[in-house]
Amino acid sequence: MTFSLRRVSAILLKDWYDLLKNSYILFTLAFPLLFAVWLGNMDVKSSYSFVFPINLALVICGCFVQAAMVAEEKEKSTLRGLLLSPATTLEILIGKSALSAIVTLVVIVASIFLTGFKVPSLPLFSLSILLCLIIYIAIGTLLGLLSRTVMETAIIGMPVLTLLGMGSVLKETIDNKIFAKVVDFLPSEQFNQIAMNISQSDNSGNTGKSLLILLVWVIVSLAITVITYNRRRFDK
Amino acid sequence: MNNVIEVKNLTKVFGNKVVLKDVTFEVKKGETFGFLGPSGSGKTTTIKILTSQLIHTKGEVTIFDESLQKKTTKDYLKKVGILTDNSTLYERLSVYQNLLLYCKLYEVSASRINEVLEDVNLLSDKKTIVQKLSKGMRQRVVLARAFLHKPKILFLDEPTSALDPVNTKHIYKGLRKLNEQGTTIFLTTHDMVEAEELCDRVAFLHQGEIKLLDTPKNLRLKFSRKSISLIVGEGNSITVKNDEQGAKQISDYMKNGQLLSIHSNEPTLGDIFVQLTGSEL
Repeated sequence: MTFSLRRVSAILLKDWYDLLKNSYILFTLAFPLLFAVWLGNMDVKSSYSFVFPINLALVICGCFVQAAMVAEEKEKSTLRGLLLSPATTLEILIGKSALSAIVTLVVIVASIFLTGFKVPSLPLFSLSILLCLIIYIAIGTLLGLLSRTVMETAIIGMPVLTLLGMGSVLKETIDNKIFAKVVDFLPSEQFNQIAMNISQSDNSGNTGKSLLILLVWVIVSLAITVITYNRRRFDK
Repeated sequence: MNNVIEVKNLTKVFGNKVVLKDVTFEVKKGETFGFLGPSGSGKTTTIKILTSQLIHTKGEVTIFDESLQKKTTKDYLKKVGILTDNSTLYERLSVYQNLLLYCKLYEVSASRINEVLEDVNLLSDKKTIVQKLSKGMRQRVVLARAFLHKPKILFLDEPTSALDPVNTKHIYKGLRKLNEQGTTIFLTTHDMVEAEELCDRVAFLHQGEIKLLDTPKNLRLKFSRKSISLIVGEGNSITVKNDEQGAKQISDYMKNGQLLSIHSNEPTLGDIFVQLTGSEL
């Protein structure tokens, strides 16, 4: 059976109709925008205050919303309906991720406008956003697959989301070299690094190194998600 | 191809527990086949194996003349319709939006939606949000979804459990129509009345083993109590043997104008199951 864009778009369209009536998700999506408005109105502006709403959009929209959407399909047994249809694993995973990806991009673009962030190098910045988007959505899907209910995504996902969203702050407050080293390799920190480097036109190769680390994250997170999906989709 | 499903010595073990033990049966093309048994007898496990949701421990399963293990699952799932005990709908979407998703997944025209909704008598609720539907109506939508793509085999796991008689009748009507159009139906149920109403042949499953397999008519004849109940005179009930002497007694009551009613004492499928297994359904 070949890959069908029609099936992917059918799942995307279904999620779109569902999103329009899901006040819990709609409210969650507005959260990063409120932060962007708040940071945009602050007098003191650092590069961190520009990048923070983007990271928050990735964590909340890309990761948390995706986790909640996947967990809801599991909780209400609607995922089984998709699995027992002719849609392939790839079609279901792409279809289920497409809406989160689109809304995350919309929230990121809106956050950039609201904070007044001047994007320094559009190709490099877009590439790093794209890589982060794949990582966060893969982690979100994984959290959704590991949770039995939407409520459980908050419990399972909170440590992960806190680490990804607040890693920089935690690094400053927790005096532990190993923890700091781990945080340094998180996708959120790599994204911060890339944003900083390209703002300062740093040509030392640090941007390339960060992009490479993000690429490793993409491969690992996708692999773990696909393996988990295939293991959890049917009964034992 | 006369048999669409052939199952030989099917065994499923969960840990130390043998859930299915050497189950053998076949389902003929175009028939409605009932798999009957109480909860925990292995009905759902069988349907999950036949629909590629579970892998069996031992035995052979051949569907459409091909081993189930050799089939590309997604190609196979295109040819079958499945209604399980946990088939659900997207609650925030309308009936139409739910069915439209599956039209696109199965690559069938959206015009099928009206046809299937008419079959389950829900056309007027096409735009209703699923959240607002009763349990029976939701079950009818799930059934409509299961045969949206005109499957060659329809697998139904307890399709009318916990439904009221009116909704049950609507579902029976839809299933009969589908069967008349050539769809083979594999049905699991613990409701013997449902089995008598719908099935061409039934298999009794008890503790993971098939105890009996035949048409409901043959089973009733085989387990006939060979007696006839009469109501005679001023409403007295008597039972006579189904033999020459009994015939004479009936004849005498008729001649004297005393015979008010006559009942053959055919057992129901439920009676047969209890007689065979000693277990209630």
